[in-house]
Parts: sequence; structure tokens; C-alpha cells
Amino acid sequence: MVTPLDIIKKKRAGAVSRIISKGYLSTKRVYVGMATCEIAAGSKDVMEVFRQAMANGLTDVYLSQKGCAGRCNLEPTVEIVEEGKIPYKYGKVTPQRAKDIIDKHIKKGEVIHEWLI
Amino acid sequence: MPKIQFKITLCDGTTCIRKQSKQIHQVLDRELEKHGLKDKVSIHLSGCLGMCAKGPVMIVNPGYAIYGSITEKDIPEIVESHLLNNKPVARLIIREDHLYNRFFRIFGDVDFFGKQMRITLRNCGIIDPENIDDYLSLRGYEALAKVLTDMTPEQVVAEVKKSGLRGRGGAGFPTGMKWEFTAKQPGPEKYVICNADEGDPGAFMDRSAIEGDPHTVIEGMIIGGYAVGSSKGIVYIRAEYPLAIKRLEKAIAAAREQGLLGKNILGSNFSYDIEIRLGAGAFVCGEETALIHSIEGSRGMPRPRPPFPAVSGLFGKPTLINNVETWANIPVIILDGGEWFSSIGTQTSKGTKVFALAGKVNNTGLVEVPMGTTLREIVFDIGGGIPNNRKFKAIQTGGPSGGMLPSEYLDTPIDYESLAKAGSIMGSGGMIVIDEDSCMVNLAKFFIEFTQDESCGKCTPCREGTKRMLEILTRITEGKGKPGDIEKLERLGAMIKKSSLCGLGQSAPNPILSTIKNFREEYEEHVSGKKCRAGVCAAMLSYTINDSCVGCGACKRICPVSAIDGVRKEKHRVDQAKCIKCGQCYQTCKFSAIDKA
Repeated sequence: MVTPLDIIKKKRAGAVSRIISKGYLSTKRVYVGMATCEIAAGSKDVMEVFRQAMANGLTDVYLSQKGCAGRCNLEPTVEIVEEGKIPYKYGKVTPQRAKDIIDKHIKKGEVIHEWLI
Repeated sequence: MPKIQFKITLCDGTTCIRKQSKQIHQVLDRELEKHGLKDKVSIHLSGCLGMCAKGPVMIVNPGYAIYGSITEKDIPEIVESHLLNNKPVARLIIREDHLYNRFFRIFGDVDFFGKQMRITLRNCGIIDPENIDDYLSLRGYEALAKVLTDMTPEQVVAEVKKSGLRGRGGAGFPTGMKWEFTAKQPGPEKYVICNADEGDPGAFMDRSAIEGDPHTVIEGMIIGGYAVGSSKGIVYIRAEYPLAIKRLEKAIAAAREQGLLGKNILGSNFSYDIEIRLGAGAFVCGEETALIHSIEGSRGMPRPRPPFPAVSGLFGKPTLINNVETWANIPVIILDGGEWFSSIGTQTSKGTKVFALAGKVNNTGLVEVPMGTTLREIVFDIGGGIPNNRKFKAIQTGGPSGGMLPSEYLDTPIDYESLAKAGSIMGSGGMIVIDEDSCMVNLAKFFIEFTQDESCGKCTPCREGTKRMLEILTRITEGKGKPGDIEKLERLGAMIKKSSLCGLGQSAPNPILSTIKNFREEYEEHVSGKKCRAGVCAAMLSYTINDSCVGCGACKRICPVSAIDGVRKEKHRVDQAKCIKCGQCYQTCKFSAIDKA
């Protein structure tokens, strides 16, 4: 008999492969905070900058939203995660800063240390 | 001083010491010295980390890399690869499949996250809350499947009882007992409610939890429904949280689509569904009986208990009602085990608590700490201390129902009993840090203004009592306090606490009583000396111009009531009769020529 546990394991496998097919295994994963607090601090505009960049041919990047991580005074936050490396977290990101992060960090791998949390 | 880049925690438990952790510490010291990293890395010894089988254990932050079964020979490799080249040594890292603390791998934020432990917020800020796949991929709904596959409802209740989990809404009633009472009531019609009517000023734990990870709350509720034999769940959430509502709706729809809600969940015989009810934002509706009335369509007013909702709740049926945070703990308790959960925290309070840290503190935000963490650790280690070199004055916990604790209480460990003993309450998790620039009398007035406004009016002590307290406090802050006012407040407060019908009234005097207890001299100064030491109560302030005035005229131009007069390049003066004490001159003056007293 198929148990609920079997079913959920199958569902999980399906979920994982769907996430991967969306590009999860890209070199860099970018997360933009999108809770009420982050949106109030301006994260929608920041997200838009990343979306635009993706639409304009930025590749090898997986873009996702996330909930509130709790750093209220430093919002909006953007994280850049690379497998096997310590994640980078930017605080107080403005659309202009987001553009710089794309140009320097994502495209050239130059971390902008002064904006890190 | 160079900035600390890494924090290394070495387990100093008996087992790890037996497995040569002391020698490893020495080698580590030597290697750090060799590479000139001594100033950039700090080493901490910790008590047993509970991973004895894989000892010796060493955790490197940021990144939360847990190295296990390490030997002296591995240390040079870890230092060179991880600390110097930012590449954690994958083969030595323990990969654990527990649910809590997943966060730490993603976050590189040492001080803020170092002392935290994330159970309820485990996915908050890492997953996309609007995508059920993200939740499923992190063992989402596995707890539900486990319960449906190999546990009877009685076993689920027993597991929750074993965990020692207590209600996170504030009162701290043991969750397992609540479940047991409800489960024992005759069915078949029973209800499960999630109380998401968060109303404390400055609190946003529940909103963030739902916005960041709605599925964990849903999963907890389905498990609760299975345990008590209910097929209907209701989330009562306030209409002021549009994004949380949207994400919850989306999550419920996605769960239905996946067969996780609805008829025959995951192919089992168990059916359950959840609907959302919006609250209109009345504070009293966070009280369970008032909340139930509100769902029924009546006015949101509390009623005396017993009967408790577990016996006669929504529409007179047995009802299980828990807070958002309580529900979010359930999947972890099922998967990681009640026994594990009860190993965290203090004797009487198990697990973790989420706090919304706000006020005069450097790192405001949402923090989750194990019970037993002291207030000092939260304010100074996680919160990063008070901004602008101001002095810490008090900490307010529990919102308008809680109290204000001065610095003597900073070493109070956080659990339900210790906070109550100190004269405050755990509450739902609001935590406001107050510095010396705040007036305690005025702050107490703010809170009583809130509760007075939110009092539903059903019982006299709360309706009339809070009003009178507000009148007295208003009088005191306006410099019209009379001798005996403080004693009157104390008497009135004690009476309201004793005779009010529900938690709102019973706790409404807490902010006043605790400030009188801990800051009585400030009240006395207000009443007899007509003085406000923080310079907040406008009626007791006066602005005067001293000899540093160069006669630039800036204050004269900005004064909205033309209370400042003077000839250019000569000393100006303030007409006290006209002055409304707005303080704009004080802020404008570039020569410190205006005195505030």
C-alpha cells in the first residue's frame, strides 16, 4: 500500500526537480527580501532591477523572493549565495546599489564590502 | 582593532574533551598564529553541543559550518581552506537533517545570529513563501505524512505533551494539555483555530512568520486537527495584514492543489480544510473567547471562563485555539521529536521564543532565542546595544500587558516564570528597549491610552478604571499632579487587575504598576517637583536662550508662534507665555545657545 509518507516523498522529489528546472543550480542565487517591512523599505524597486537584468540577458542566476529575516534596520536586504562559499548579504539596498551589485558582484565577482552587513 | 572575521565555537563537553578537543584547541591556536589570523578569529568554548557521537565538534561562523569527528591533522586544512580562502572543507562538515537552524548556512551575520536558534522561523528569510515547492523541498509536510502514516491521534498528543511546548500567545498554557482536553471531548464536530490577531504595538512576530513561511502554520494546524479529531480549521487574522493574508490564501490554495488539504489528505482517511476569517483589528479579539465571538458574527467581547473553548468554543463546539508561533513549532516537534524539543530551554519553559526587538537598540528586528537567554544577551549581544552612546534605562516586554524592567533585571533569563517574578510577562513577544531620553511616566501613559482605547467596555473595572488611570496620568504629565496621585494609581491598578473579566483588563495596569515600582522617583519628580528629567513632558519644559546667542535669527524664523524676539546680532529671548514648547528652536540653533530644562 502507498502510505502518505511515500506520497510526500514523491511530492518532494517533484518539487526539487521543479525548482532545479527554474535554474536553482545556477552559479549564483539571488534572494530579495519581500515581506511587508522590506517592501515598505523599498524592496519592490530593488526586485524590479534584478528582474529587468534577468530579462535583459543576465544568465546563470537564480532569482527568488524570501520572507523577513529579521534585520529590520538594514532592509531591504539582498543575499547572494554560491554553493560551497560563505553567503554574501547586502543591507540597505537601493535600486542604484542593486545595479552596482549586478555589474560588480554578479558579473565580475567583485564583492562590494562596504555594503555588506 | 582589526575586525573579527570568524567566530569559532569549540565544543568543550566531556565527550569532546575525551576525544582530544583540548589538543585541537592548541593546534588551532598555533595555526592561527602561523597565518597571522589571531586578531581576525575569535575562539569560544561551549558546553556540550549535543553532537557527542560526532565529536569533537567545531562550528565556524559565519556560514554555520559544523565540523565533526575532526583530528589535529584536519586543522591546518580547515584554516587554510576555510579561513584563508573562504572555502569550507566539505568532507568534514556534518550534514544533519534536522529542521531547526537551517538558516545559519545562509546567513553570514555573526553577532546578530550567533546567539539565536531558529525553530519557528527556520524557513523565514530563506524560502520563497509563495512557492509551495520551496517548502516541500525542505521536508515540508513530512511531519504531516509521518503523523498520517505511523501515529495515532493519541500518540501525536503524547508527543506534543512530551515536548513541553507552552502557548506562545502570552499566557503560556501547556499546549499538550490543551490538545488532550479537546481530543477527549465528544465529536464529531470540532474546530481548530489559529490566532493570528496580533495587536501589541511594536510587535510583528506573527505577521513575519506568516509572510515568510505560511505553510508551516498550515501544516501545524492540519496535524492539530488530526490529533483532536477536527475537520475544520480557521485562521483568524487581522485585515491590516494584507500581504500575510494574500500569502496565506495562496498557500492554502497550493496545499489544496497538492492534496494536502481537503478530502482524504495524502490518500488517508483524514479530511481537513482551512478557511481564513478577517478580524477588524480590535485588540480584545486576540483574547480567545472574544475571538470566537467575532468569528461567530457577534461583537468581539470576552466571556467568563470556564467553560473553556476546549469544551465549548466556536458555535458551542469543542475548539482548539493556538497562536501562530505555537502552530509553527508543531512540525519540528513531530520530526525532530518531543524529547529533543524539551532539551532546549529551561526547566519550565521549553523551546525558543520569537521577539520583535524594537525601540532604542542598534539592531532592531526579529530574533528567536532559546528560553533561558538573558535580556542582556538580547539587548547587547544580538541587539548590539543602545545607539548614540545613550544609557540603557529599561526594557519593556509583553506590550501593553507587560511591564518595564530596569537594568537590575537585565540578567533575568527569559522564561514564563522568571519574567513574571520580575514583574513583567512573556507576552506574545514584543520587546521595546528604552533609553534615558524616554520619560517613564509618559510611556506608561502611552500604553494605558492604548488599552483604554481598546477596552471593549463589557466590565466596569476595565472600562472605567483605565479611563481614570489615564486621567490621572495625563494630569501628572501636564504638571498638574496632586499629592496622593501615585498611591491612587497603585490602588486603582491593583483593583483593576483583580476584578477585570479578561486578560486585557487584568494586565492593563502592568505598565503603570511596574514603572511606579521601578521608577517611583520619576513619578515623584513629576508630581512634587514638576520636573521631567527626560525632557519629554512638554508642560514641564522651558526653553531659554543663553549668552552663546549670536543673534543669527534662525530660531526667530523657525518659531511657528513668533515667541522669539530680538535684534539681529544681539541676544534673543523667548516669550514663555507664547511658547508652545515644540522644540524647533532647540533643534535649529547651531550655537548651543538654547537651554532646555
